[in-house]
Amino acid sequence: MSEHPPPGLADLGRSSARDVLARVRQTSPSIVTGLWLTVILAAVAGAGRIVTPLTVQQALDHGLLDTDADASSVVAHAVAVGAGATLAALVASWWLNRRVYRRLEQALAELRTAGVARVHRMAPETAATTRSADLVTRLTSDVDAVTTFAQNGGVVLLVNVMQMIIAGVIITAYSWQLALPVLALAVALTVAMTRIQSVVATRYLAVRESVSELQTTVGEAVAGIAVVRSTGTRARMAADLDAAVDRTAAAQRRTLVPLHVNTALGEIAISLMTVAVVVLGVRWSSGASGWEPSLGLTAGEVVSMLLLVTFFVRPLQSLVQMLGEAQNAVAGWRRALELVTAPGGTVGGEAHDLPSGPISVRLLDVSAGYGGPPVVHRLEVAIDSGEHIAVIGETGSGKSTFAKLVTRQIAPSRGVVLLGGVPIGDVSDRSLQRRVAIVPQDPFLFNVTIAENIVMGARSGSWDLDAIVESLGLGPWLDGLPDGLSTRVGVRGARLSAGERQLVALARTALVDPDLLVLDEATSGVDPATDVRLQRALSSLTAGRTTISIAHRMATAQGADRVLVFDGGRIVQDGAHDDLVTQPGVYARLHDAWTEHITAGA
Amino acid sequence: MLDGSLAHPRPAALATVVGVVNGLTMVLSAWAIGWTTDHLVIPALAGREVSRATWWVAVGAILGVSTVRWTTIVLRGIASGRVQHAAQARTRRAVVRHYLDLDLGWHRRHSPGRLLSTAVSDVDAVWLPTAFLYFALGMVVMLVVAMVQLMTRDAALGAVGLTLVTSVLALNLLYQRALTPRAQAAQAARGDLGAAALESIDGGQVVRTLGLVDHEERRIGDAAGRLRAANVRMGDVSSLFDPMLELLPTGAILAVLAVGAGRVESGALTVGVVVEVVYLLLTVSIPLNVISRFLGMLPMSAAGGSRVAAVLESDNVTRFGARRLADEGPLDVRVVHAQVTRGSRVLLDDIDLHLAPGEIVALVGATGAGKSTVVDLVTRQIDPTSGVVRIGTPTTDGVDAVELAADQVASHIGLVAQDSWLFAGSLLDNLVLDGHPREARSYRDDEVEAALVAARADEVVRALPDGLDTIVGERGGRLSGGQRQRICLARTLLRGPRLLVLDDATSALDPAVERDVLDAIADLRGRTTVLVVGGRPSSVAIADRVVLLDRGRIVSSGTHAELMAAEPAYGRVLDAYGSAQHRV
Repeated sequence: MSEHPPPGLADLGRSSARDVLARVRQTSPSIVTGLWLTVILAAVAGAGRIVTPLTVQQALDHGLLDTDADASSVVAHAVAVGAGATLAALVASWWLNRRVYRRLEQALAELRTAGVARVHRMAPETAATTRSADLVTRLTSDVDAVTTFAQNGGVVLLVNVMQMIIAGVIITAYSWQLALPVLALAVALTVAMTRIQSVVATRYLAVRESVSELQTTVGEAVAGIAVVRSTGTRARMAADLDAAVDRTAAAQRRTLVPLHVNTALGEIAISLMTVAVVVLGVRWSSGASGWEPSLGLTAGEVVSMLLLVTFFVRPLQSLVQMLGEAQNAVAGWRRALELVTAPGGTVGGEAHDLPSGPISVRLLDVSAGYGGPPVVHRLEVAIDSGEHIAVIGETGSGKSTFAKLVTRQIAPSRGVVLLGGVPIGDVSDRSLQRRVAIVPQDPFLFNVTIAENIVMGARSGSWDLDAIVESLGLGPWLDGLPDGLSTRVGVRGARLSAGERQLVALARTALVDPDLLVLDEATSGVDPATDVRLQRALSSLTAGRTTISIAHRMATAQGADRVLVFDGGRIVQDGAHDDLVTQPGVYARLHDAWTEHITAGA
Repeated sequence: MLDGSLAHPRPAALATVVGVVNGLTMVLSAWAIGWTTDHLVIPALAGREVSRATWWVAVGAILGVSTVRWTTIVLRGIASGRVQHAAQARTRRAVVRHYLDLDLGWHRRHSPGRLLSTAVSDVDAVWLPTAFLYFALGMVVMLVVAMVQLMTRDAALGAVGLTLVTSVLALNLLYQRALTPRAQAAQAARGDLGAAALESIDGGQVVRTLGLVDHEERRIGDAAGRLRAANVRMGDVSSLFDPMLELLPTGAILAVLAVGAGRVESGALTVGVVVEVVYLLLTVSIPLNVISRFLGMLPMSAAGGSRVAAVLESDNVTRFGARRLADEGPLDVRVVHAQVTRGSRVLLDDIDLHLAPGEIVALVGATGAGKSTVVDLVTRQIDPTSGVVRIGTPTTDGVDAVELAADQVASHIGLVAQDSWLFAGSLLDNLVLDGHPREARSYRDDEVEAALVAARADEVVRALPDGLDTIVGERGGRLSGGQRQRICLARTLLRGPRLLVLDDATSALDPAVERDVLDAIADLRGRTTVLVVGGRPSSVAIADRVVLLDRGRIVSSGTHAELMAAEPAYGRVLDAYGSAQHRV
């Protein structure tokens, strides 16, 4: 629980319960309004449950054991009162449960929605560095833990507490001397159970870890089945799987003893309390001697106390057993809050919109990296508005880092990046969102149709899907698909090949009509013929906007106004293709390799 | 569940016995309270003399019964758990081992996520009721005994007890029926929200670039709202049923008092018996809830069971023969009249392809032409629908691939697939795997180094601080695409395959690196048969022969120059960049 959240989220790990509660009150006000009604309902529900022992006592003392009384009418009266109380408890419980469920779920739904909105409004550099799985967990299973807790008894927590308090008070009212051993045993039980519960929690944690390890191993086996088969490593994989299965079973076995000892402790406590009430209650009320107090309890009161002991211990038991789930629920809520109350995007009131028209880009003495040593060193770049720049270099030369810098996915560790003359950190989210577009090497598609994925980018209703498809030359490809534009792409576009996903992403971006377009290896996965067609189509797409194309294919560079050559995180060459190709250097070397590549065998 | 008990007879027998004994202690402890009331509490507090022996019997009975009770609770829990977890592990092992045996076609039809959840959650669900089986069994025995005893004491009290038991059971069944569909709906809503949230957050860059933040907030808000509604519908049911179930015994106790008062007055019953019955009814809700919970788990268990059975019963297992490939040297592969269909789609149509020993053949074709299916055939990932794939050596006749023994394909044929997949361990583990496939030995350092150099992966290793000991992360996630591809190449080269198949295996490499790697592949000429798949001009350059595939048929075969001259389609597929350059 003390682990720190990823950077960019609020760190509530060390906040006091009061602080977390204050944030809950602020994010979900409905949860605390009308608290008084909740407490009254819980009191009625708790008290109504305890009416049984009192009815028994009344029936015994004033009816069945009282030779003078008209037993039947006394008992009938007591039973009528008991029935009324039980009915009141039923109605109060029903009302209370509904109320708590509704308010809780309302708060949780708001929490989830606010969380997703928060993620999308995060500074891009935070969003890019935080694992999405972690963020999703904070909005799904972490919040689910609260629902699970509520459904498994959290809702009646308040009623249980009330019942326990009322039972304790009645026992004490019958006889405080007799209440002492009962309460002492209750304290001992609570201490013992809490201790064992923490052992149970630790061992369950081990179970969860072993299950997650099991999931990883099984996941590896099914996702990598082709490799397992082609490399003939079935035996090795089977041994890993067996080991993971056995570790899970062993971890589960280790929970059994503390878990069931804990259940048994309640029984032990109840029987010891029963014996204490019988022996001391009867002895001190019938023939106390010496130091012993004289209680004067009736038979009905002793029997009633025997029953009350159960009413006192059962809720205590379930409270302690709920402890673990309560901790999960609190931790889950806290983790969700860390996201929802995360500090907002980079800029507040001083956000600047980008000037209209194609956007110029300047990097002044910029270094940047991913926590470790810088990946790009002291870059000086000036790109005029409307210019088409190609960025060339080997894998790991810093090209992609450059792309991330100019789209604000990482912040420079030194120097400044200017977009349209505005420091990139001061650019408003709104204008960055619609006017700067990046098409990455592995673009993300939503699990809808190809057409829906493309029109997502449309700014207004005035778009022509067919024209876009036509201008990018996608017709033949779409004709080859069984459902054409209506083909569903699957989760993350998995039903399309990497190259096909890139085609959809390009079409989508064409509709966005950005003023700064960054293509990060955006056509690396398409086959050469399609790529050439695309490059030609892209030249119409890049007209009228600033374009930065990052590629390891030289074809891209030849169509650009200017080429930046990256090597080892620095820009080593800068010039037009025709000039660079004649100079000895990195570019000429890459170009030679490329020429050999495409003319091979000719 | 029965077979689980039979498979683990000792804990199962223990759990059954202590389960029943535990049930009986509940009847006995009520009896002990009743006896104590009649023989100790009432006489003593009425001022009558109570013998010492009575005191001891009362205390002994309460503590004795309680001791048996809590010991059986612990023993029953442990024994049930042992049966449950052992049976779980047994089923799970069978499922995951079957995954390894099922063929690639089957795996492609089933999503990894679904298979994962069958192996983990479905198997859990199948055996979950076992945890309550013996508990429930003991409780049934207890209820029967208690009801018989009540009946013999007094018919009216018996009737109250019976009414309570039947109404609680009926209410529980109603509850389960109302709850199960709602719980499933909530589960589905939870899954929908999870998928939507993951998609939205994963696609965050797109959402921001396209300005879809408000749209996404609405979409997720709707999904969260549906989950809220589903949870509330579930809560509404339990809001009413929970207190009803909890308070029903109270109602029965009040009825017992009303009925019992008359009986005590008429002398038919003692007060102690009434107290005993009250005490019994107070505890009777526990067994009833356990039985209903057990019954409630059965549908979920059955659903999990049918999914597990679907896996275990699927027989899409690759069949192997017993033939082995003789001696050393490059393989001879003949694909003869092979047809591959999937459903109604013809993927490959009457293919004849010969790879001579030591030859380097390039397979070229547009996306969707069927190249990957040819790869599947010659590496025996799939078998042809009709026709045959024969694998031979320079000196022996071809063996039908179907007749090869299980380990033969993997130990003689090496495949570098399109997607570079690595195991989560260290780089070195990923390279050596189980050691040399044919010579049953581990690799020498110089062999590893040579394979790394050939794949230009030596510089990848050198660039990593931990070198070969670097842990590559799940699916090799800590390496870049190009790095992974080079490691996968090295892994296959290290195994010294007699047939090497490269399925677009250099797509993520820079031209200079790709050229070096292909040079190393070209050096294998004569020693290894090589099939290079993909339409890259550079890979065609090292091939002795090029085969052009179009819509599932081989349309042409020959040297690069021959195809350039004869096949306009070939030029279009291959020469795209060249012609583009000429135009610039």
